[in-house]
Amino acid sequence: MLGRRGSLRFLAVPPFAWLIVLFVAPLLLAILISFRAERGPIDFGSLLQASTVQYEKIVGTPSWLRLLATSAGMALLVAALATLFAFPIAYFLAFRARHRAPIFLILLLVPAATSFLLRVMAWKVLLGGSGAINSFLIWIGVIQDPIGLLLYSQAAVVITLIYVWIPFAALPIYAALQRVDRSHLEAAADLGAGPWSRFWRVTVPLSLPGVLATLFMVFIPTVGEYVTPFLVGGTDGFMYGLLIQDFFSRAGNWPLGSALAVIMLLVTVALVAVALRVVDLRRAVA
Amino acid sequence: MPARSRPFRQCLAIVAVSLVILATACSAPNKLLVLEWSGYEAEDFWTDFKTANPEAAVTFEIGSSDADVLGKMEQGSQADIFHFYTGWQQFYVDAGLVKEIDTSKLTNWDKVPESFKALGRVDGKQYYLPWDWGFTSILYNTDHVPEVTSWDILFDDTYAEHISMWDDGPGAVTVSSYIHGWDEEAITDAQLAQAEQEWKDQKALNLHYWTDEYADLCPEVKSGDIWVAYAWQGCYADALYDGSQPIAYATPVEGRNSWVGLYGISSKTANYDLALEFLDMKLATLTCSNAVTLFYYGCANQEVMDAIEDPVLIEAFGIDDPSIIESTNFTPPVTDAQRTAWTEMWGRVKAE
Repeated sequence: MLGRRGSLRFLAVPPFAWLIVLFVAPLLLAILISFRAERGPIDFGSLLQASTVQYEKIVGTPSWLRLLATSAGMALLVAALATLFAFPIAYFLAFRARHRAPIFLILLLVPAATSFLLRVMAWKVLLGGSGAINSFLIWIGVIQDPIGLLLYSQAAVVITLIYVWIPFAALPIYAALQRVDRSHLEAAADLGAGPWSRFWRVTVPLSLPGVLATLFMVFIPTVGEYVTPFLVGGTDGFMYGLLIQDFFSRAGNWPLGSALAVIMLLVTVALVAVALRVVDLRRAVA
Repeated sequence: MPARSRPFRQCLAIVAVSLVILATACSAPNKLLVLEWSGYEAEDFWTDFKTANPEAAVTFEIGSSDADVLGKMEQGSQADIFHFYTGWQQFYVDAGLVKEIDTSKLTNWDKVPESFKALGRVDGKQYYLPWDWGFTSILYNTDHVPEVTSWDILFDDTYAEHISMWDDGPGAVTVSSYIHGWDEEAITDAQLAQAEQEWKDQKALNLHYWTDEYADLCPEVKSGDIWVAYAWQGCYADALYDGSQPIAYATPVEGRNSWVGLYGISSKTANYDLALEFLDMKLATLTCSNAVTLFYYGCANQEVMDAIEDPVLIEAFGIDDPSIIESTNFTPPVTDAQRTAWTEMWGRVKAE
């Protein structure tokens, strides 16, 4: 028999092995490849010949660094708005839906079970010059010509990403709101706090762990997003992740693509670390 | 024997037998793996081979670009056959990735024009079999664009936000070389810098850059959102069949561009004869005809091309106008250093 500690270690082996093989090892490989001077067949010998040529290229290309900053800014906007729009949904599920909460939760998550590509392509149909939104606005006479901004733009990328993220963004907030002790709200009401006051001074602070988890959960992967800008971004909605994808698959330049990815990883980790230092969760909740 | 070790030895035996079966299956003589472009895995594009070899198991690995196909082959893809486009022939030969084709065993080889055969020869040896081909030129909507005489129409701000350029750095450099009369095989740093600035200025004129003509470009040509596009003739034929917009395909004064798809047999293949038969059957009548009628791409079997009667396809391929092919520029080979520089240039254009 393994005993309790032995059992825990045994159970931890598969996920750790998974993490090491499918995350740590590829990440280390990407870092090694980023130090190759030029593209070509990769073997162990060439991996040990380090060069900073790719990093020098990136540092010497201000437009790529600006693109990273822009992409981070778009990711922050998507995270903030997705969190904002998801909060009322999570609040409804936690405080209003009662015994129907599981049904509403399923309804919220069912669209997420469909193909991601199909959902994004559907936005092309909605947002296009001849799409449903423009056609409706022209039909009711609000506009004469289609609004080009709705597709192949940064706005289209942001709108589509918010739509994609809302169902997932609601979940951490819902989990945090479910943990809110109702007696706190009753006590606040007994002390004379009105509904808005109870919401802002009791509910919102107690939901902050979930809100912050949502912000990070949305922000981090969105920085490197490339499918949505590829489909609806056009030339204006180009994001840093698409630059990495271009160099890997279209240019076959793995060293430069890897270097771009490593820089994105470092910047994202740095931003998250700064945010965690700035936002002291214990003080925020207290 | 301890009771615990018997199930363990049985498990080991099962695993060993499974591995042997798997290894045998992977090297089965009637099995082929083809590194192919998305869409070409459809049975229509190897139907003659399937009819002749119903027991053969053909599977496909998909490559997303010429660089991706080369990268996969370099990193050890187990593909027996790979498909790529003109300009990349030397790389596979230099890397020892391709076997010479024994053309004496090809029953359809004599149907391929000499000019196409020559594209598959490197250092005097026939390494590749030409298959699909087409033009690149300017597709335009005649309701909005009266005439196109030059590739520089892509830079005309009269058509701002109704232009679409192919999302490809080497393609952009090719266009710049045509407009300015540069030697495409010897682009200088100064010329590349000039091209980069021009394409940065051109960027705002595009509705978008396209990567897949049938998914990205053709729908918006047919809807009337795109009036001027760098395009292959497949989209032209598609728009002609659709008929919803008046579309024309230019023959610029600089000449059209032409590309040819080539198949090679991997130097590591264990099924050379079967791979050779697969390539031979690619040139067979029905398979070649399907490339023409389903993708609107040309095929290297000249008998198939000569048999075209559909007026839309005759127009799309310019069959009735020999002057088109005479003024056409064929994609030349360029070096790895050039491709790296041109793709990095395009990355800077897109990031601007």
